[in-house]
Amino acid sequence: MRTASRGFQSRKVNGRIRVLLAGLLAWAFLLAGRLVQLQVFGHAAAKAEVLEQSRSQAEIFAERGTVFDRAGTILARSIPARSLFLTPVKGESAEARAKTIRAASRALGLSSEEIQRLLSRARQAEPFLYIKRKTSPEAAAAVEALGLPGVHSHADTMRFYPNGRLAAHVLGGVGLDDTGLAGVEYAHNQPLQGRKGQALILKDARRRAYHFETLVPALPGQDIVLTIDATLQYIAERELARAVEATGSNWGTVIVSRPGSGEILAMASAPTYDPNAYSSAGAEAQFNRAIQLTYEPGSTFKVVTASAALARHAVGLKETFDCSRADLGFPGKPIRDHKPFGVLTFPEVVIHSSNRGMALVGRRVGEVPMFDMAAAFGFGRKTGIDLSGEAAGRLQPMSAWSRRTLAALSIGYEVASTPLQVLMAVNAVANKGILWPPRVVKDIRDPARPLQRPAPVVALQVLAPEVAATLTGILEEAVEEGTGHEARLDGYRVAGKTGTTQKRDPALGAYSERKHIASFVGFAPADNPALSVIVVLDEPKGTAYYGGEVAAPVFREIIRKALLHLGVFPASSPVRGLITASVRSEVVR
Amino acid sequence: MIRKKIPRRQAILGLAVLVLTLLILTFYLRHLTETARLGLVQRDLEVRLIRLRDEVKALEAKKAELLSLARVETVARQDLRLDDPEAGQVIFEGGGGTHK
Repeated sequence: MRTASRGFQSRKVNGRIRVLLAGLLAWAFLLAGRLVQLQVFGHAAAKAEVLEQSRSQAEIFAERGTVFDRAGTILARSIPARSLFLTPVKGESAEARAKTIRAASRALGLSSEEIQRLLSRARQAEPFLYIKRKTSPEAAAAVEALGLPGVHSHADTMRFYPNGRLAAHVLGGVGLDDTGLAGVEYAHNQPLQGRKGQALILKDARRRAYHFETLVPALPGQDIVLTIDATLQYIAERELARAVEATGSNWGTVIVSRPGSGEILAMASAPTYDPNAYSSAGAEAQFNRAIQLTYEPGSTFKVVTASAALARHAVGLKETFDCSRADLGFPGKPIRDHKPFGVLTFPEVVIHSSNRGMALVGRRVGEVPMFDMAAAFGFGRKTGIDLSGEAAGRLQPMSAWSRRTLAALSIGYEVASTPLQVLMAVNAVANKGILWPPRVVKDIRDPARPLQRPAPVVALQVLAPEVAATLTGILEEAVEEGTGHEARLDGYRVAGKTGTTQKRDPALGAYSERKHIASFVGFAPADNPALSVIVVLDEPKGTAYYGGEVAAPVFREIIRKALLHLGVFPASSPVRGLITASVRSEVVR
Repeated sequence: MIRKKIPRRQAILGLAVLVLTLLILTFYLRHLTETARLGLVQRDLEVRLIRLRDEVKALEAKKAELLSLARVETVARQDLRLDDPEAGQVIFEGGGGTHK
């Protein structure tokens, strides 16, 4: 009986053990199955999830290259900055958030408009809000020291133009993301911005970064050396600003270049702006009139007509033209001169800027040679300067010419050009007929990489040297005795040409009698030109509006100071005076 | 209970191995901690170097701002009361109207 009972109990226990074992086995199978599901079939997804939690990739910003002038003066540089932002704080009321914004804004010295804008955005419950982008590290530290809830900052860079408005139109400006928007900053954005890198950040379970590893190093932007001379740029801008103010002109522009290389030494436009605040500058101020504005060049274009006449042997130097006749046989309104002339020789026509005389010269040249010469000088197409937004101007195709076009073109009408195109044409005359394309970038530098020079430029012989020499002599006379006498500079031989263009009035559908563009273009010293300058002023007010009256004096002041700066001294002292300046001649940089 | 006597030579050898192991372990740990410490120092120095380079760049830009021609002219004219020389007050020695 006892034995039977023990056997029954033993079977009962064994049965329970089997059930337990079966249960355990089933659980083990389930566990194994789940593990297989997770680790085999769901391996990729699980791995990605783990990696996402424990590591992240971040961009390493490449530092934007510095822009220097030709002497090594810093014109634009990216400097460390911080951007302050606001993140939501749990349980924070709208009033408390507004209070935080006000406190941070006060510490930063923001304007009331900026504060209102921030408060308005905060009211729209924007979770992430920039309080101030790209502020100085000191200002950011001062705000952070206040310990305001939700206010943080991150590292950033700020494009800084230490000279303020100097060379604003050449430099252009950058946006908030440090991408070039205009000028050199835009045209050479690629080398300047470099290449962003990538970094791996490992995080712990609480997602705190504990390891930072560079995967792809950032390639800093390359430095750019401009052909611009900061001192000449300053001189040009100052004289231009004075002239625009003194003459009440709407705007003005000045370009200073080296005829022998095409290098632009200064390029100024008024009104101007501060590139440190590019986005807040108006479109009028941002407009680079030296290369973006087209106008009818007027009498400065007579250089082209005279070149064509001399190159084609269409006129002789002693040949005379009757400039007293109103009816020259061209259709439309009679061509007028700024004062009555009688019979003038060909050089006198240029020297005194006779429209009638030059129209007769143009007729002698003929349509095809005239068009060819204008095209050879580069009118109607971009000069190819390494800046953004250059206008091509317009040289009408001959098929679109009217019977009056030849006469109009001879005196600089019915052609639209930029001030730079006019300067380049005169540069060719100054440089023995060789036309160098203009440029503003001298070098692209990077210590980490081999020197990358800009693509070599090719000069064009657009005029025979003897023609250029003859024309230079005539242009010298135009300054000595002609319309350009206000550009005369004691001790230097100056060559140049005035221009006074009547502006077309859209309301009248005709040329205005009261609105003019005054200009002067020339170079010095005439025998070995170091510099060429063009000055253009729009609608000078008052009785003086001729190029020779308002633009030529500006040219004289700019070229006088510029030549001294470059170590080109006058041949003879004007007057024995009080101060003796002992200076050594320098090689022109 | 009888304890087996360990030969003196074996004991010394064992002790030497133990000491050597401890030394290696100590050196290894020291090496690891020193490497980590130097790594941190190096990183700190690198960060400092970058910061100093940034500071130099910012100071150079600040210097350029202070030396800007507009500011120099303002200081010269307003603070130092300097003015342009009158026409004829400057004589240029060795002038030639040409440039190299």
